[in-house]
Amino acid sequence: MTMTPAKVPRELDSPLDGGVGESRRRPDGTLKVTGEFAYSSDLWLEGMLWGVTLRSPHPRARIRSIDVSEALAHPGVEAVLTHEDVPGFKFYGLEHKDQPVLAIDQVRYQGEPVALVAADHPEVARRAAAKIKVDYEVLTPITDARRAAFDPDCEKVHEDGNVVRHQPVIFGGDVAEARAGADVIVSETFEVGIQDQAFLGPESGLAVPGEDGGVDLYVATQWMHSDLWQIAPCLGLPEEKVRMTMAGVGGAFGGREDLSMQIHAAMLAMRTGKPVKIVYNREESFFGHVHRHPARMRYEYGATRDGKLVFAEAEIILDGGAYASSTPNVVGNAASLGVGPYKIPSIRVDAYGVYTNNPPCGAMRGFGAVQACFAYESMMDRMAAALGLDPVTFRQINAAHPGDALATGQVLEHMAPLAEMLGRLKAMPMPPERDAAGHDLRELPGGVSNTTHGEGVRRGVGYGVGIKNICFSEGFDDYSTARVRLSIIGGEPTVLVHTSAAEVGQGLVTLKAQIARSELGVRRVTIAPADNQVGSAGSSSASRQSYMTGGAVKVACEAVRERMFKLFEERLGRPPASLAEAVEHLPEVLGDEVIDETREFHHHRTERMDPVTGQANSHTQLAICVHRAVVDVDVELGLVKVVELAAVQDVGKIMNPLSLEGQIHGGTAQGLGLALMEEIVVADGKVRNPSFTDYLIPTILDMPPMRLDILEYADPRAPYGLRGAGEPPTLSSTPAIVAAIRDASGLALTRVPVRPEHIAGSS
Amino acid sequence: MRPFAYRRPADARAAVEAALDAPRAMYLGGGTNLVDLMRLGVAEPDLLVDVAGLPYDTIRETGDGGLEIGGAVRNSDLAAHPAVRRDRPMLAQALLSAASGQIRNAATVAGNLLQRTRCAYFQDVSKPCNKRIPGSGCPAIEGDHYNLAILGHSAHCVATHPSDMAVALTAFGAAVHVEGPGGRREIGMPGLHRLPGDRPEVDTVLDPGDLITGLTVRPLPFAARSRYRKVRERASFAFALVSVAAALDVEDGTVRDCRVALGGVAHAPWRAERLEEALRGRPATEGSYAEAADAELDLAEPLRDNAYKIPLARKVIVRTLAELGG
Amino acid sequence: MERGETAVRAEIALRVNGEERRVVADTRTSLLDLLRERLGLTGSKKGCDHGQCGACTVLVDGRRVNACLALAVAHQGADVVTVEGLADGDEPHPLQRAFVENDAFQCGYCTPGQLCSAVGVLAEAARGWPSHVTADLAADGVELDEAEIRERMSGNICRCGAYPGIVAAIREAAGGGTAR
Repeated sequence: MTMTPAKVPRELDSPLDGGVGESRRRPDGTLKVTGEFAYSSDLWLEGMLWGVTLRSPHPRARIRSIDVSEALAHPGVEAVLTHEDVPGFKFYGLEHKDQPVLAIDQVRYQGEPVALVAADHPEVARRAAAKIKVDYEVLTPITDARRAAFDPDCEKVHEDGNVVRHQPVIFGGDVAEARAGADVIVSETFEVGIQDQAFLGPESGLAVPGEDGGVDLYVATQWMHSDLWQIAPCLGLPEEKVRMTMAGVGGAFGGREDLSMQIHAAMLAMRTGKPVKIVYNREESFFGHVHRHPARMRYEYGATRDGKLVFAEAEIILDGGAYASSTPNVVGNAASLGVGPYKIPSIRVDAYGVYTNNPPCGAMRGFGAVQACFAYESMMDRMAAALGLDPVTFRQINAAHPGDALATGQVLEHMAPLAEMLGRLKAMPMPPERDAAGHDLRELPGGVSNTTHGEGVRRGVGYGVGIKNICFSEGFDDYSTARVRLSIIGGEPTVLVHTSAAEVGQGLVTLKAQIARSELGVRRVTIAPADNQVGSAGSSSASRQSYMTGGAVKVACEAVRERMFKLFEERLGRPPASLAEAVEHLPEVLGDEVIDETREFHHHRTERMDPVTGQANSHTQLAICVHRAVVDVDVELGLVKVVELAAVQDVGKIMNPLSLEGQIHGGTAQGLGLALMEEIVVADGKVRNPSFTDYLIPTILDMPPMRLDILEYADPRAPYGLRGAGEPPTLSSTPAIVAAIRDASGLALTRVPVRPEHIAGSS
Repeated sequence: MRPFAYRRPADARAAVEAALDAPRAMYLGGGTNLVDLMRLGVAEPDLLVDVAGLPYDTIRETGDGGLEIGGAVRNSDLAAHPAVRRDRPMLAQALLSAASGQIRNAATVAGNLLQRTRCAYFQDVSKPCNKRIPGSGCPAIEGDHYNLAILGHSAHCVATHPSDMAVALTAFGAAVHVEGPGGRREIGMPGLHRLPGDRPEVDTVLDPGDLITGLTVRPLPFAARSRYRKVRERASFAFALVSVAAALDVEDGTVRDCRVALGGVAHAPWRAERLEEALRGRPATEGSYAEAADAELDLAEPLRDNAYKIPLARKVIVRTLAELGG
Repeated sequence: MERGETAVRAEIALRVNGEERRVVADTRTSLLDLLRERLGLTGSKKGCDHGQCGACTVLVDGRRVNACLALAVAHQGADVVTVEGLADGDEPHPLQRAFVENDAFQCGYCTPGQLCSAVGVLAEAARGWPSHVTADLAADGVELDEAEIRERMSGNICRCGAYPGIVAAIREAAGGGTAR
């Protein structure tokens, strides 16, 4: 007997109309507004146990011993597990298998999982976990990433050295020579704090032991197969005995690329023979997933007096924390995109990803391109100011055009020219000037009445440009798989679309239905729940699912259509005159038969970066977004009101206008958060603010109205010519907002987030 | 969370008796702060005496223009009351600037007064904290304290009081009604909240079993021109870095009287008595306001990373008074 | 069980989405956990369990509150409405319809709380309650313009950043047009 939990995902019926290019309602929309949509935290099985994770309070310590006897004797406890109980391989990781499932002999970051407890109630499990006696020999944590990377005397976080990856990029002529020819040189060091994905639905899931010794896992993840490939070896199970079903995902933003509770819940379920649910609370969530890498970035640019950049040099140090996660690829992005979409004759970039005992960092929306974007855009403003040029003009002078090469030598193709995008952005109407007398107080920093009546308030305008790679890069074949099934149900042609792709809120389920409807001309489309009974769809990250899973659904639909046409010809003795005719006759043509096609979609090949020069066509697709921020800054109190954000983005093809706007709004809001308030504060390797009182996220009042101008320069290699859209706005909004605050305050502001105490008293 | 017994007494006397029944009894109002602290393990009551249902949930205008406010009145109801909106804008604004609509709907007036500090070390049971565990030390003094006290702190504690409402009530000099084991009494504000000294674990002058049943805000006609200004790190739903409640009585260009209290700067809502004294009888000009603010802020002893609060407080005081005094 | 560890149980009777419910629960049970784990009403979400995100917002006796900070035992006899109870039979609440039409969510995790909060906001505005951005505190009525909606909804975090859609949806439901 297989136990099926209550509140599992079900098939979604799509609205009955709407193809590619239209704003259609989400097939999961009604479920989401009625409370019926089943998230991973809602899973429920009668008699299930609750799992709790004991985590290290220390960022670095040796474990002398672990005594679980008292915890095991606690009434209601059914299992207490340590690394000794890991059934298979004891390490996992996205890139390097360097992370122990449960700590072995040492801990490398505060919050590292050490032991697991399963009990009949979460409170009982927590109490029991507190009774596990771990004897730690506390060590001084390694917390300075620069020292960890460069000081040969620095201790090692892992045996094989502290540099996870160093990727140089050397382009064009010699930087030293170019420096000699520069009229103006500017240099600066920038810092980016640790940003958290802070998805609202904490890590959670349910593991159900199978009669075959396997396990059924219901989890919220971004890439089910990547989870599977890490989970199965650790459980000592063949992949087919680990059956995965996507539970509802309460936001992701990169934070669900790495495993969290998956292996732990499965271990407890396999040990106890009972279903086990694990739900992190908010504090644990801050320790339970990787964050955006904090960065320290030293930049130097040279230009001629007429405004042409002649060289750029950058050293980017990304603190990856205790385990590698996706640090190698984050470094690849920071290196390859480290000076942005500008034409610079001589470039030298050195990007480093470093192990420390700080919180592990990995994927977050913008992935390695966010940190560098803040630095290179700040440099563009600084150089423009040094040259006495308007920041937009200076960017336009140096903008890379289609046909120009980026730092890696990769040539920009089939995309909107940056100079034109900037021109359109600058030409967009400005929000009304603040009226010194009769202004609406609510529009001022600090809100109505309560901090200012206009005194101390200065308006500033800033611009930001960001370039992001779409899909995975550096030779990775992140293909996607789709299964499309066509049958007649109740006399009506019905299409079922089945993939393993994660719907994380981006609207992929809407898009899949739109594509099926466009390609097959049917009204009724159903979306199957995502599971691993169909091949990998790759990750819901890197802005890639419209391209990749969209592409897979499209080619699978094409295969179905071909068979549909062939059947039509076989049964009716002639080819259909149109798709509409084929669909019209489908009930008689198809009868009880079913057309079921599964197809993989691969993007064109990319190359690994040369380890010495970084030169390569490493990216599948590139996308640019540009932002203009208008802010009012109360320079006396340090308060910032973002009055308006305007953006121009090239998306290749607008697949669903409403969803697209949502992605741009959302990405921009997270960039605003990084600019103004979001930071995990870490001291001596310990997190100071693991709560939403102390880690502030923009509220609805912080996010201003947006003005959007969306361009469609088709990419002929991508399905429908589309270009991934979710991440680029996250990059450019941050530097645009900070530039606007600089414009208003005159401050240098080399670090984000910029908080009131950094501005206050600057008047 | 530790298990606890729950009782719902019928009146204040029964509540006080119930509270004396258990060694770690606590009163429960809206629970918006207490339940949070219980979940964090900071508060571990063995008995909750629910006083939210006691008949102290009304607001009454007294004949002389004063206001009697029940301890169980919800924050949002107080903010919406016509006599508060019309005659005491700084109190309405302080209430409306606090927390979120949901929290204001549940939080009671008495509970608001008795909120505990948001100092991150106090909230984190894995860290030492003199307020939570007397004698364990104060890591905030050397640690993360950019949002903590600049006034009245001690070598034992640098926490701030989180309430906005209490700042406005302190400016008003509200009187707090207490029903205690020894009977009824009144405590003036300031005076309810203590400075930390060497006993930071004690927030107020209340004794075990003392129940706040309500408060009186005596008439203060010039408070019809009053304001609460709050500086915070987010546009809404955030605690104050610095806040100011001020009421100003100006006649013929001279300050006849004033009331000023500061929030986000001390262990207690901070009545700016020196400022008030320095301002009475002076011309209603920005120069006077600045001098008066300095008279108060001369007392400030900033920590390593929160000296910015001094000019910040000065600016907010001056701006608020300038707006009120013209 | 060690001293002081014995759970205390209480019978709790309340009305949820119009139905009388009676549950024996540990006094520590929050209203949110009672709804989610005892009554199977998982629509209300746990985002932070500390009143900092608003995902658990429900209506208690017509007022919006954070169910995570409410002890169930303290809500004897309360009339609770959750997202599951907003619709009128098969007819969705106008706010539910407006949220779908305006794409006022992405992952949807905050949505039940946003909806209950918005229902509360409309009721509070109808009563003439002011907000932190109400210019004239003494005024009788309040018009739910964009600034008012934003301030009043600021206790509900949407990490997907669907804020423009949320504002548009509430304006629409409040009868203020569809400007976005």
